[in-house]
Amino acid sequence: MKFIKNHLMFILPLMAILLGIEFYLVFERTTNSYEKGLKEGYSMLVVTHKPMELSEFQTLNEHISTSETIKREYIVFEVAKGISKSGSEEILAALPYFYNLGLDSYLHTSELEKIKKNLESNIDIKKVETFGSSYNSNYRLFSFIKFILKVFIVFMGVVSLFLIIKQMEIWKYAHKERMQVMEIFGAPMMLRSGVLFRIAFVDAIFATILVSAIFFYTKFYWAAGSGIDIMMQNQEALFKFTDIAILLGSAILIVIIAVYTVVFSSKGVQE
Amino acid sequence: MSNVIHASHLTLTYGKTGKEVIKDANFSIKKGEFVFITGPSGSGKSTLLKALYGKLTPSQGNLVVGGLDLANVRPRKLQELRTHMGIIFQDYKLVNEWTVKKNVVLPLMIAGYDTEVQDTQAHRLLKHVKLPDHADKYPLELSGGEQQRVGVARALAKNPVVILADEPTGNLDDYSSNVIWDLMENACQQLDTTVLVVTHKIPTIFSLPYRHFIIESKGVYEVH
Repeated sequence: MKFIKNHLMFILPLMAILLGIEFYLVFERTTNSYEKGLKEGYSMLVVTHKPMELSEFQTLNEHISTSETIKREYIVFEVAKGISKSGSEEILAALPYFYNLGLDSYLHTSELEKIKKNLESNIDIKKVETFGSSYNSNYRLFSFIKFILKVFIVFMGVVSLFLIIKQMEIWKYAHKERMQVMEIFGAPMMLRSGVLFRIAFVDAIFATILVSAIFFYTKFYWAAGSGIDIMMQNQEALFKFTDIAILLGSAILIVIIAVYTVVFSSKGVQE
Repeated sequence: MSNVIHASHLTLTYGKTGKEVIKDANFSIKKGEFVFITGPSGSGKSTLLKALYGKLTPSQGNLVVGGLDLANVRPRKLQELRTHMGIIFQDYKLVNEWTVKKNVVLPLMIAGYDTEVQDTQAHRLLKHVKLPDHADKYPLELSGGEQQRVGVARALAKNPVVILADEPTGNLDDYSSNVIWDLMENACQQLDTTVLVVTHKIPTIFSLPYRHFIIESKGVYEVH
């Protein structure tokens, strides 16, 4: 019972940190695809006096990545119903040129304003419409969710770290005497800390397996049948097998830091 | 005979206050000598012993043990030096979660001897310290005298070049004390081990020739 308790006291906080890391990875992946969707769905409308190429827009601002010409014939077709052909041609000649400009990333509204100013500084550009208000509300909501989740992950990490420090104190208390005696008789550090490393590595592997199992289950069993759109659409992002390596690497790194701290703080003979 | 321990102008300070315990001490101890260090409580006997196994670094002067100057020794060298030492403490310093046998073979374990050798040595040593049936017991199941005999067996396990003993019979009954003195005498006589014992009182029955140092008023003086 004591054996299980001792292991759980390290496995649980380690699991909390690993869950935080995995949440972060999943969140980054899902928000990246969402961000990509927002970015791709967004474009600004530019009205120009003369035809313009993408490179011309790009010289005005480097964030502009695509330029799509809106065919003026459609506009004329819509507004000039019942008008003669020559009348239509006159309207077409009088119409300015319309472009939908795409951006390379999901930018802050202040950046959008900057792009607008850059574009408007060109005398050939008549008008720029950024659709700022709808973009702004999307951006703020998205940033807020991202911030809250990161705060939650950091909070979880800090609390878990304190629990790990507590466990390190218990380790120090339990292993100090043995390590000090071994040190007096000239045992190298790896031999002195061998037991502690073995315990900690086993705990790290257990914590990694448990966290991986949770996300594996979420991806393959729960998400598919959950009926939650965002889960079903982003099922692939919920867990990747490379995550196991990241989790195990993180767990082992935490273990090494924790054990070395205990070993170095236990150096010297008790007076 | 070569010097196993050599101190020249050795000054040892202790604690955060940097209080001088030993000042400008000069002495040499040769291989195979049996040395008693006595002195009043708080005179610095145990401090000197700590300096000899590298727990305390000299603040001035030199302290050479086994050819290594402990004032400027690298941790790895010190670690290696300690594997040639047998150290006995007044409070035994046994690992309570280990069996008596495992405690005894600790120096062999550190040196990388295989378990068969460890078992044979443990059996032989426990027989020597008159605890042949206690191999699988734990230190806390033994009396103080028995625990100290385990400590002595551990110190002798790897036939050390130097044995450093801090009040080895301090709180022990006569039987255990005699067993311990016999073992240390034998090690000195038969294995040419240098034995340095810090004690309040030199035992009345002691068959070997020995040297006697006294620590008084921060100085280390030999009594002739």
